[in-house]
Amino acid sequence: MCDQTFVAITFGPCDCCGKASPLMNIYIKSEATNYCSFCVEVMATQGLQAGESAASLKKESDSLKKKLEEERAKLSDIELSQVAEKIEVLAPLSIKTRRVLKGHGNKVLCMDWCKDKRRLVSSSQDGKVIVWDAFTLNKEHGVTLPCTWVLACAYAPSGCAVACGGLDNKCSVFPLSLDKNENLNTKKKSVAMHTNYVSGCTFTSSDMQILTSSGDGTCALWDVESGQLLQSFHGHTADVLSLDLAPSETGNTFVSGGCDRKANVWDMRSGQNIQSFECHESDINCVKYYPSGDAFASASDDATCRFYDLRADREVAVYQKDSIIFGASTVDFSLSGRLLFAGYNDYTINAWDVLKGTRVSALFGHENRVSRVRVSPDGTALCSASWDNTLRIWS
Amino acid sequence: MSGKTCSSNSVIQAQKLVDQLRVEADMERMKISLTAADLVRYCQEQRRHDPLLAGIAASSNPFKDKKSCVLL
Repeated sequence: MCDQTFVAITFGPCDCCGKASPLMNIYIKSEATNYCSFCVEVMATQGLQAGESAASLKKESDSLKKKLEEERAKLSDIELSQVAEKIEVLAPLSIKTRRVLKGHGNKVLCMDWCKDKRRLVSSSQDGKVIVWDAFTLNKEHGVTLPCTWVLACAYAPSGCAVACGGLDNKCSVFPLSLDKNENLNTKKKSVAMHTNYVSGCTFTSSDMQILTSSGDGTCALWDVESGQLLQSFHGHTADVLSLDLAPSETGNTFVSGGCDRKANVWDMRSGQNIQSFECHESDINCVKYYPSGDAFASASDDATCRFYDLRADREVAVYQKDSIIFGASTVDFSLSGRLLFAGYNDYTINAWDVLKGTRVSALFGHENRVSRVRVSPDGTALCSASWDNTLRIWS
Repeated sequence: MSGKTCSSNSVIQAQKLVDQLRVEADMERMKISLTAADLVRYCQEQRRHDPLLAGIAASSNPFKDKKSCVLL
């Protein structure tokens, strides 16, 4: 595949002054408009108050950053692990592999549970998306996408559809039919269109909207029926690798993490970035909300997982060990939020005590990197997907 | 990204950054002692409902193999 970059120059009437000239595509309050370069200059200088310039803005941004640091430092009067000293220590978990799902011909990149607690969907590098029944190991549905590296897949809340996307830069929704012989490809609906690979997708509270994250640095909210872009989220300065929706009781926000080492929290309605955390030393591979919605965790290539408190607006715990040197690619909380399961590139899954910051257990079994771990909706089992072409169910 | 580095681009970017920081600086924050206590309380309350922590009987866990065979 050859990489050719074209700079496309649109020519036409400017949205501001009306004159025909080469246009620059810019975003004003999340809306894409086309201005000629003269109007862009005018608008940029209009935004400045008297006496401001690029240099003074830089000084202001530096002082604001320092003020943020001070505000956050003022509130850290105690460590989470100190507050957690009073509670009992967890015994090592008696969790073993109960099922091994074989059937993918290549690396399994992503998986998601259905709300019925028994079905799950998984996607792999060879373009195959399979829906499994985890109790019986039956493969219920299978679709082959025309692209390789299906990086993201999600089950709809109703259990009637799955969404998946990857190197095709799109996210497509497949309604699942009860007829086993029907070719799901005929009902395929292309919903999201990005300018780079789709790294993560999830349905919102209904089957009608999906949220996607992409290598083009943006996240976007789409209407499934019409394929229309409802809201786009700009702010990351590099590929966005993961996103997670806040648990429904706490409202319309989601968190995203990317290669710019930042984890951003967004308001879904306004498109505004409300909080930002830059604590990791390398790409953030996965982000996941705490079950109560007041905190979230992230996994990164710097071999650590971190826990952030949203109300205190800072990182409150780091889960790391000198013996762990491989990057963490995925995290998920257990039902109560006490355990954090993290999958690493050294083929293991570590279970961390979220509150005390210590490792409770290590799960071995996979023969290649663990790409995704997800706890089932009722919390009885953990499913892990790996580059060794299998998925394992632990319980 | 366009190859030109117009001065207007860096001004727009700097303006956006300052606006974003202003929004973040205005946020209401709580002390960690309060929020941490809340997180601990949530964990303790939900503890009983967490099968991976508390463990559930083999008979009710659909993934654990049952000891006795079922006659079909």
